[in-house]
Amino acid sequence: MKRILSMITAVFIFCIISVNGAPAAEDKCYLCHSTMDDKESKLFKDDIHFQKGISCSGCHGGDNTAEDNDAAMNKQKGFIGVPKGNKISEVCAKCHGNEKIMRGYGSKLPVNQYDNLVNSVHGKLAVEGSVRIVQCITCHTAHGIKSVKNPLSPVYPLNIPQTCSKCHSDAGYMKTYNPSLAVDQYTMYKSSVHGKLNSSGDPKPAQCASCHGSHDIKPVKDIRSKVYPVNIPGTCSNCHSDKEYMAQYKIPTDQFAKYSRSVHGIALLEKNDPGAPACNNCHGNHGATPPGVESISKVCGTCHALNAELFSSSPHKKAFDEKNYPECETCHGNHEIVTATNKLLGVDKDAVCISCHTDPNSSGYKSAKLMRQLIDSLDNTKNAAMVLINIAEQKGMDVTEAKFKLRDINQIKLEARTQVHSFDPSKFKDVVSKGLLIGSDASADAKGAIHEYSFRRVGLGVSVFLICLLAFGLFLYIRRIEKK
Amino acid sequence: MKKHLSKTYKWLDDRLDLTSLSHFIEKKTVPIHRSSIWYYFGGVSLFFFIIQVCTGILLLFYYKGSADLAFESIQFIMSKVEFGWLIRSIHAWAANLFILSVFIHMFSVYFEKSYRRPRELTWISGVLLFFLTLFFGFSGYLLPWNKLAFFATKVGTDIAGNVPIIGEALKGFLRGGDDVTGATLSRFFGFHVALFPGIFTTILVIHLIMVQRQGMSEPIESDKETTVKNKTMPFFPNFMLRDMLLWLVVLNVLAILAVFFPAELGEKADAFASAPAGIKPEWYFLFMFQTLKYIPAKLFVFDGEILGILLFGLAGLLWLLVPFWDTKSSKGIRNRKMNYLGLAAVAFIIILTILGWVS
Repeated sequence: MKRILSMITAVFIFCIISVNGAPAAEDKCYLCHSTMDDKESKLFKDDIHFQKGISCSGCHGGDNTAEDNDAAMNKQKGFIGVPKGNKISEVCAKCHGNEKIMRGYGSKLPVNQYDNLVNSVHGKLAVEGSVRIVQCITCHTAHGIKSVKNPLSPVYPLNIPQTCSKCHSDAGYMKTYNPSLAVDQYTMYKSSVHGKLNSSGDPKPAQCASCHGSHDIKPVKDIRSKVYPVNIPGTCSNCHSDKEYMAQYKIPTDQFAKYSRSVHGIALLEKNDPGAPACNNCHGNHGATPPGVESISKVCGTCHALNAELFSSSPHKKAFDEKNYPECETCHGNHEIVTATNKLLGVDKDAVCISCHTDPNSSGYKSAKLMRQLIDSLDNTKNAAMVLINIAEQKGMDVTEAKFKLRDINQIKLEARTQVHSFDPSKFKDVVSKGLLIGSDASADAKGAIHEYSFRRVGLGVSVFLICLLAFGLFLYIRRIEKK
Repeated sequence: MKKHLSKTYKWLDDRLDLTSLSHFIEKKTVPIHRSSIWYYFGGVSLFFFIIQVCTGILLLFYYKGSADLAFESIQFIMSKVEFGWLIRSIHAWAANLFILSVFIHMFSVYFEKSYRRPRELTWISGVLLFFLTLFFGFSGYLLPWNKLAFFATKVGTDIAGNVPIIGEALKGFLRGGDDVTGATLSRFFGFHVALFPGIFTTILVIHLIMVQRQGMSEPIESDKETTVKNKTMPFFPNFMLRDMLLWLVVLNVLAILAVFFPAELGEKADAFASAPAGIKPEWYFLFMFQTLKYIPAKLFVFDGEILGILLFGLAGLLWLLVPFWDTKSSKGIRNRKMNYLGLAAVAFIIILTILGWVS
C-alpha cells in the first residue's frame, strides 16, 4: 500500500513538472531570459521556486518547452504575462492553496495563507478600490523569493520589522488608510527589549508577526486579533510562559499565571473588560520594556492618577526614594496585584504597613492603626444599614433611596482607599466621616420604613375596627327601624 | 340650634322646593324579592366611582403627565407624599373592583331582563358607562409610564389599528403619532382626567335620573297581573342604609387590599428596551386578547385579527341593543334563550380570562 502511494506521488510530481515545463536546466523560458541578462531571471536563480524546479511558466503560464517566442508565450497555452493586482496572489494560491501540490514538493507550509490574507486587514480593498492592499509579493517579493527560514528572506524574523515598516512607517501612505494609526512602531520597537535583541541578531524575540500574526493579521479593535486587549496576555504568554524558550534570557515565566490571578487579570480575562490593563498597558506595546523602579508610580499613575498624585505628595515618597523601593509595587506587588482590602491597611500580621512600621510608639504605626479602625467602622456602618434595609425590603417597603445611600457609601469607601495614599490620618478621617454620616442616614431611612410598615398595619387594624364598628352599629340600626 | 336649622331649611325650601323632593324620597320604595341582592351592585359601582374621583383628584396634586416625569412623580407619591402609597393603592384596587362591580351589575340587569320596556334607554346608558369604564382602565394603565404599561398600550393600540377603514387613523389619534411616546401619555392623561370623567358623569347623571324616574325594575313574573305584587321597603332610610352598610364592607376590603397588596410600579418605560416576555393586558381585556390569539392569522380570505375585532364590535353592538331584539321579555314573556345566551357569554369571558391568565 505504502509503495503504491509512493508511486502515485512520484507520478503526480512528474505530471506537475510536465505541466509547468521541464526542469530548470531544460526550461526554455529561463534559458532564453538568462541570455537577455534581465533582472527577473537573475533574481529567479536564487528563488526557492527555481530551486524546486518550478518554471517561469508556473506563474506566467505558456509553454516552457517551446524554442520559439511566439509558441512559448502563446495565450492559447495559458500564457498570462505579468499578473496584475489581485491576480498576483491568486497565481500564488494556485499552488499554495493546494495541499496536494504543496505536499508534492515536500513542503509542510499551511495552505490557508491566501484565505487568511483575503480575510485579514491587508485583504481589504486599497484606496484605488479595485485591488487588495497587500499581495503576496508585497512582503515576500517576486522572482527572488526565499524560504522564511532563509536569513535573506524579507520575512525572516530578523527582517520582518523592517519589511513591515516599509509601509507602516510611511506616514503619507498610512494616513490614506488610517490617519489615527501611529507610524512610529518601528522606532519604538527598536527601543524595546525585543527590538534590541532582534537587532543584535537573535531571531527568537518577538517581532511584528509574533504578536500580530502573519497572513491573518486583524485590526487591533477586532476581537479575533491576537493583540485585542483580551487576547494580549495569551499572546505574550506564548513565549513568556515557555520555560524552555525563555531559558536563555533568565527571566521568570510565571507572569501570566500571576497576572491571571490579579485584579487586572480577572477583570480582563474573566469579566472580559477590555478597559482593564493587559501586559502592554504597563510595559508598552511596540516599545515593550520592564518599567524601572523610578517609573513604576508613573506607569500605575496613568490609570490610578489620584493615588499616584497623593503618594507623590506624601511623606512616603521621600522615604521610598531614599531606600530605592519601587513605589506602588512595594505594597501591591506587580503581576499579581490583588484587590486591595482593608486587611492591607493597619498593623495586623496581614497588613503591609507593619512590614516597615514595627514600633508601636511610632507615628506611622499609630496612623496605620487609626486608619484601619476608621475604614472598618465605615464597613460596620454600611453593614448595619444593609441589614436594616434588607429587613425593610422583605417587608415590602420602598427603600430605593436608602439603597442609593448605600451606593454613596461604596463611593466614599473608594475615595477613602484613594485617600490612604496620602498617609494623612486627618484627611482620611474627613473622608470616612462623610461615609459614616451617610450610613447613619441610610439606617435611619430603613428604620423609618420598618416603622412605617408597623404603622400601616396598626393603622389598618384601627381603621378596619372602626369601620366594622360603624357597620355593626348601622346593622343594628337597620334591624331596629325594620322591626317597627 | 333646631330653630336655626328649620330656618335654613325654610330658606332653601322657598328657593329650591325641597319639600317636593323630600316627598319623592319618602314615597320611593324598593321591591323586595329573591333577586333584590343584585340591586346593591349599582350602588357599589357608584361608590367605587366616587372613590376613584376622590383618590384621582388627590393623585392629580402630585402626578405629572409627561414621559420625563410621570414615573418619577408616581415614585414620589409612593415614597414621599404622606399616605400617597395608600391613595395610589386604593385608586389602583378600586379601579379593578369598579370594573368587576360594573360587570356584575350589568349581567345581573341582563339576567333579570331589567332592560325590557320601559327601561331600554337606562340599559343603553348603562352599557355606555360600562364601555367608558373599560376606557378609563385602558387610559389609566399607561399613566405610571412603566415598562409593562408602555408595551401593553403598544399592543392595545396596535389592535385598535386593525379596525377596518378607520384603524390607522384611530391608532394615530390614540398614540398622537406613529408610536407610543410622551404624546400618547399626554393624550391618555387628558382622556383619563378630563374627557372620560366629563362624559361618564353626564351619562351617569342621566342613568341615575332614569333609574329614579322609572323606579327599580322588578322580576318579569311581577309584570303578570295574576301574580301577587312583591313586598317593598322604603328607599330612605332602609335601602340607603343597607347600601351604606355594604359600602363600609367594601371600604374595608379595599383598605386591606391596599395595605397588604400595594400597587407596584415596576421599571420605567423605555422605548428601546425589548418587550417583556408574555406581555398581557389587564384582566378585563384578557378574554378579548386571548380570543384574538386563538383566531388563525387567515380565515378563508379574511385577516384573522380583523375578523376578531369585527366580531367583538358586532357583539358589543348587539349587547347595546339587547332591549330591541329581545322582544319577548318586553312583552313580559319569559325568554330562556336570553338566559342561555347570557350564561354562554359569562362562561366565555371566564374561561378565556382563565386561559389568558395561565398561558
